[in-house]
Amino acid sequence: MAVFTVSVGLTLIMITVNQAFAKRLDDIKGQAGTTITVRPAGTFGGGFFGGGGGGGASDPGTAGGTTGGGTSTGDAAQTTTPSLTTSDVTKLLAIPSVAGASSQITVRYSGTDLTPAQPQNSGTQGQGSGGTGGQGRGFRRGILITGTDNPAGLTTVGTQDVQITSGRTFTADEANQNVAVMGQALAQQNNLSAGGTFPLQGATFQLVGTFTTGTQFGDNSIFIPLQSAQTLFQRPDSIDSAVVQATSVDQVNPVADSIRTTLGANNVDVTTELSTFQRISAPLSDAKNSSRIGMIVALAASAAVILFSIGLVARQRIKEIGILKAVGASGWHVTGQFAIETAVISIFAALIGALATYPLAQTVANGLVSQPARTTGRGAAFAGGRAAQGFFGGTGSGLLGNVGVAVSPDIFVYALGIAICLAVIATVVPAWYVGRVKPAAVLRHE
Amino acid sequence: MNDQSNGVSIAVADGLTKHFKSNAITVRAVDGVSFHLPAEKMIALRGPSGCGKSTLLNLMGALDRPDSGSLTIGGIDVAKLSGHEEVLYRRRKVGFVFQMFNLVPQLSAIENVMLPMELNGGGADSALRARSAALLRRVDLASDREDRTPSKLSGGEQQRVAIARALANDAPLILADEPTANLDSKTGALIVQLLRSLCNEARTVVIATHDDTIAREANMVLEMRDGKLVTTLQASPA
Repeated sequence: MAVFTVSVGLTLIMITVNQAFAKRLDDIKGQAGTTITVRPAGTFGGGFFGGGGGGGASDPGTAGGTTGGGTSTGDAAQTTTPSLTTSDVTKLLAIPSVAGASSQITVRYSGTDLTPAQPQNSGTQGQGSGGTGGQGRGFRRGILITGTDNPAGLTTVGTQDVQITSGRTFTADEANQNVAVMGQALAQQNNLSAGGTFPLQGATFQLVGTFTTGTQFGDNSIFIPLQSAQTLFQRPDSIDSAVVQATSVDQVNPVADSIRTTLGANNVDVTTELSTFQRISAPLSDAKNSSRIGMIVALAASAAVILFSIGLVARQRIKEIGILKAVGASGWHVTGQFAIETAVISIFAALIGALATYPLAQTVANGLVSQPARTTGRGAAFAGGRAAQGFFGGTGSGLLGNVGVAVSPDIFVYALGIAICLAVIATVVPAWYVGRVKPAAVLRHE
Repeated sequence: MNDQSNGVSIAVADGLTKHFKSNAITVRAVDGVSFHLPAEKMIALRGPSGCGKSTLLNLMGALDRPDSGSLTIGGIDVAKLSGHEEVLYRRRKVGFVFQMFNLVPQLSAIENVMLPMELNGGGADSALRARSAALLRRVDLASDREDRTPSKLSGGEQQRVAIARALANDAPLILADEPTANLDSKTGALIVQLLRSLCNEARTVVIATHDDTIAREANMVLEMRDGKLVTTLQASPA
């Protein structure tokens, strides 16, 4: 009974810990998402704040490139960066396991039709590294204008989901219309509200809704339909980036590889959040693998212990088996008796083992991941901002945090399953053994 | 068994053989034995230890299978029994009484008697218990011993329980292997009388023994030596 309890308890603990690690990794995968971003090669990291080249007359220039990607700048649509085309997106959609793809162009607008949400700086950074045509009158924070064909999934800089605060987002039916959704702060700065109109690049746009991202940067942006943006900024058939959705997290990497193959690895930069998070979660993956091995070993050890125990018990009770057969018991009568006895013992052992899982599973998990993984380098930089937002339920104690092993009542179901398996084993082994017992041989030597 | 009337054989053996291999040596435990055993009689299998008495009883009880020859008991070809038929034969046609009693140690006296009835699908527990109690009274076991486990019964009491168990399913053939070997002479005599009395209930009792006292009580004595039947003595009818 004690051996059974230890075996079953150990198995249940390893199952629980393995599940906890698996859930944690799934959470990370789920949070990393199925998004794959495709940009023309070389535009990643050189875009929004600097990659665009010379601005128009009113472009004061930009600061050096830091983040963002693939954007053009200027009062009017001006870009010197390579771009994708709508035919490229059509190719992406044909790749297996691609659930969908959206396209966008992003323009940093620094014209005078609208006033940025943040006050202009009066500093002396007038000539940004990326700007060539500025007047040097000081840094003027641009307005991010994004043309997208995915109005239902608006994000700024590809990471910050927007929340509509008034009105609505535009629809697919409005692809060619001058409609816009504007950051709440930007709208307030320009005394605009949903339903109003505003001028932009010589056209008049209707503001159909406002949104917030929770950040000043994100709220200083505008979304308009992709075709409207292409027309407005004179970039027909050109897109800066495509966001591809894989059908599942597991398909992210294969799809990313297919994209590189389809469009040419030298032509596009393909980035996935998953790859970054997989590097970050490597220690957790190792711990999960360890717990899986532990689970298999525990299961194998349990099976071995049980088989050995049952075999031993059967041998010890061989005389009883002989007596029962001599008075008319069939092999199945005897086997059934063993099965019932083992089932009762197994159920008690499983119950105690399941109860032991509650206090011990967390300890084992902590032992396997003795120090919660912390991020370094790129991973930390990538995840840092999100952690601050509670991306991982952010405790601030590390990107992965402590793996909380929540022992669910399901453990009793597993315990019952193991008990049933033991009962089955306790049926098969004695059945084989009892079938070989000859009463005369057993009782002859008594 | 419709051939149990007096003058009719209940058991017929012809060239019955059972050999064992022991360290490359073949032991001819039963070596070409032939006999006709009359029904409703007490028959003694007599001979020294190792002469094949127990093996012959085991063959008759279907606890073992002969290597060759035929053995028909109550019209049933025991040598060819297997599987469920063999189980039913053990359950219903024979009752075995062992030298070492061989009661199930975890069960009480009355539960040991109930066991063959339960295996036979006997019926309600109360009915089985009542019949078992009656059988225990039949073998003169005191009622206050019924609920005791074998370890708390004397040797004679355990053998009475074993005989009651052998009678549980009304088996017409009772096979007793040295039933008095582990009992004192007085208790042994009582057990022999008990077994003898079963013949008056339309049962045949075959007792393996090397005790001449028991042999003198038998209606028929089969003398065995080295696996062979050397003498068959017909005693006076009971």
